[in-house]
Amino acid sequence: MSTSPEMDLRDGYAEKYGFHDDEQSVFKSRKGLDADIVRQISKLKDEPQWMLDYRLKALEIFEKKPLPTWGGNVAEIDFQDIYYYVKPTSEEAKSWDDVPEDMKRTFDKLGIPEAEQKFLAGVGAQYDSEVVYHKIKESLEKQGVIFLSADHGLKEHPELFKQYFGTIIPSSDNKFAALNSAVWSGGSFIYVPKGVKVDVPLQAYFRINTKDMGQFERTLIIVDEDAYVHYVEGCTAPIYSSDSLHSAVVEIVVKKGGRCRYTTIQNWSNNVYNLVTKRAVAYENATMEWVDGNLGSKLTMKYPAVYMMEPGAHGEILSIAFAGRGQHQDAGAKVVHCAPNTSSKIISKSISKDGGRAGYRGLVKVQKGAVDSRSTVNCDALILDEESRSDTYPYMEIEEDRVSIGHEATVSKIGDEQVFYLMSRGIGEEEAAAMIVSGFIEPIVKELPMEYAVEMNRLIQLQMEGSVG
Amino acid sequence: MSATNLDVKGANAVAGWLAAAETRASAAHEPEWMLKRRRHAAQVAASMPFPSREDELWRRSDFSALPIDSLDASASPPRARNVDDLPAAVVERLAGEAAKAALLVQRDGDVVLEQTHPTLQKQGVVVCSMERAMREHAGLLQEHFGAQLATDYDRWVAIGEALRTGGVFVHVPKGVHAELPVRLFQWIDGGRRLVAPRTVIAVGEQGSLTVLDEMLSESAEEPSLHAGGIELSVGRGGKLTFASLQDWSRNVFHYGNARAQVGADAELQWIQVMVGGRMNKQHIWFDMAGQGAQAFVHGFMFGDHRQHFHLHTLQRHLAPNCTSDLLIKGCLKDRARSVYQGLIQVAEGAQRTDAYQANRNLLLSDQARADSIPGLEILANDVRCTHGATLGHVDPEQLYYLTARGLPRAEAQRLIVEAFFEPVIERVPLESVRERLRAEIARKLG
Repeated sequence: MSTSPEMDLRDGYAEKYGFHDDEQSVFKSRKGLDADIVRQISKLKDEPQWMLDYRLKALEIFEKKPLPTWGGNVAEIDFQDIYYYVKPTSEEAKSWDDVPEDMKRTFDKLGIPEAEQKFLAGVGAQYDSEVVYHKIKESLEKQGVIFLSADHGLKEHPELFKQYFGTIIPSSDNKFAALNSAVWSGGSFIYVPKGVKVDVPLQAYFRINTKDMGQFERTLIIVDEDAYVHYVEGCTAPIYSSDSLHSAVVEIVVKKGGRCRYTTIQNWSNNVYNLVTKRAVAYENATMEWVDGNLGSKLTMKYPAVYMMEPGAHGEILSIAFAGRGQHQDAGAKVVHCAPNTSSKIISKSISKDGGRAGYRGLVKVQKGAVDSRSTVNCDALILDEESRSDTYPYMEIEEDRVSIGHEATVSKIGDEQVFYLMSRGIGEEEAAAMIVSGFIEPIVKELPMEYAVEMNRLIQLQMEGSVG
Repeated sequence: MSATNLDVKGANAVAGWLAAAETRASAAHEPEWMLKRRRHAAQVAASMPFPSREDELWRRSDFSALPIDSLDASASPPRARNVDDLPAAVVERLAGEAAKAALLVQRDGDVVLEQTHPTLQKQGVVVCSMERAMREHAGLLQEHFGAQLATDYDRWVAIGEALRTGGVFVHVPKGVHAELPVRLFQWIDGGRRLVAPRTVIAVGEQGSLTVLDEMLSESAEEPSLHAGGIELSVGRGGKLTFASLQDWSRNVFHYGNARAQVGADAELQWIQVMVGGRMNKQHIWFDMAGQGAQAFVHGFMFGDHRQHFHLHTLQRHLAPNCTSDLLIKGCLKDRARSVYQGLIQVAEGAQRTDAYQANRNLLLSDQARADSIPGLEILANDVRCTHGATLGHVDPEQLYYLTARGLPRAEAQRLIVEAFFEPVIERVPLESVRERLRAEIARKLG
């Protein structure tokens, strides 16, 4: 490990993810946002009228809604200085060989095809505004599992798509959900039929390549009764001098007895605003789990939510936030108990370093009638130096008496005794600190698929390099 | 910010109050510095709207039902020659112990009784009305008045300062341990009153003092508003115990702002009890201003019917090596509602901070609602900051245990609720006051 105390927190990002391809898009909208751009996107996608109407209405809502005054600083985003739609290739490839060379090189560098061969049930790769590659194992396809880009989902399964699209997160939910609803492109559409258990993860990979680009993918996942799916997404971008915007909307429905796990390893470059709305509804005895790792971006505002709609539903959110120099991770979670006998659990671990700001912002809500609801929240924060900052803002709104709700949060530094103990066993100071941080996030990392757990630990170690001066 | 209902309804009323306050203060020959403060506050008040539901601290408490245009800010109460002239409820609270404390009673907009105590007088402890303080302790008062509560914190605070009605000044000189407590009473005679007193308490270096601030009122149909300000400071090595006991009748709206500054190696014990009133909102800031300062805060809210309580606390650690420990309990019956909104802030450089914040809520009815919003903002790394919040109903196992021993269910629940409050009640000074609180809880439990 390096011993340079001056090393940047996210050193190593530039070599591994920070490169960019020459831009060779087949279509690029002009900069800025108005109704014409929205019409243009819809037309290029050859969308039905209802979707265009939906987009235009969302644009109106976006224009009316004020920017949030809480959380991170979003005032510097210039919405007219962004490319809202960049189409990198004319066709979505079904075979890896058909992916254009330069993009293939990108994803090769990021290890996507390798991962697909090894352990994934399906892969989608989005490059700027469009999904350029999509593949699902034949055996799953035969069982009726649908795994498409959201654009193809709309084309090939219009009824199913329309039935659920925008029902979990209406365009009026918040300013950025409205923006996404107006200009969305790409993302995944997944349907898992009754009783089908997809035992290896489906993966999507998101890459921003173009400078001053906004990526607005839209993901819709429907897990039918007693079915199971694990969806994993990763994201990276080149390092540019100007800022990019990523504003996704993810809607998930988990029906009776079903289970969905959604894992995110967010590793955007430090010039990306990551403002994402993610929400799931879980019906009778269904389980929804969000595993949310936030390492990258300039500012992340993301609070994955689970609405427990029927008795026995369970929601779980595991969140890791790591903020280094110039980063603000406003991460968190929301659980809403709408029915009796529902349960939820939130575990949040945040680490701030080199002047970074990491935090937890969360909501536990128990609606009237949701008797015998149970919820526990645990937030722990580590602050690694005196310039850094940690925030905890939990909200609890309880409208029932027969419930059990608990919240605990602790902020501390790495214990001197812990470091001393490890050092007395011959471990270097820096390595000791990295080990303690790994131990700190262990409860969440152990929930990741093996390959991701290894990757996560590696990323954390990378971030920890040079942390002890 | 959009104009609230209050802005519209209150436009004329506020202008009227401010003009009347100016006239009254001049007629009373207040010193120029105070008149200047009032005028400045009036300007600030005129320049800002009322806080609205868009403000984070006002989203959950709605004052729009307050008939602001009907409130009278200049009701003048009869003077009291002695304790016997006071309202019966106040006399009852004194439980025959009026002679064992310095006593200061505010009735509506004025202090009607100032009864200091020879022992405290001998010690040089100042306990007097704001009016007297302006005449007799101008220097001291000027040093502390407005030193912490910013005039422009919000429109209510600005109005409160501009039309300040009455108030109290207490001062303990350096090195003096006040041998007797100070008892403050605030009494409102009925409906349609607007009362905005300012309480200023300063404990000098190595000094110590105990203060009880009790709020009571005559029952009335029409609402009244109490919008007071409190500023406390404890000098290096000093100690202050301050108990705020709010038991308004059900027509009272209350919005109070308190600021407490704890100096190096000083200690503050704060007890906050909220049981009365209709709509109650209290903001309290604890500033740990010098190295080694300590603050211990214990409080509870107990609501029934449609009572609404909103307590906001801010533990600000501005210096290293300070400790703050806060426990707020809430219990709700019927359709009552409580909001606890707390924040621990650790400033840059406030290393070795030890801060704790706990909020425990007991819900006795499925119509009740409790919101708990504990927060942490930490800008130093060598700290230990923890908060916890729980919300739940009476533990069925505890109930089972007690009923299995032959206690009727209602009785068992009463015992459990009483035990829930007891750790806070134990902190309240004076046995007669603790007994009174226990009786009030028992009465509320029915």
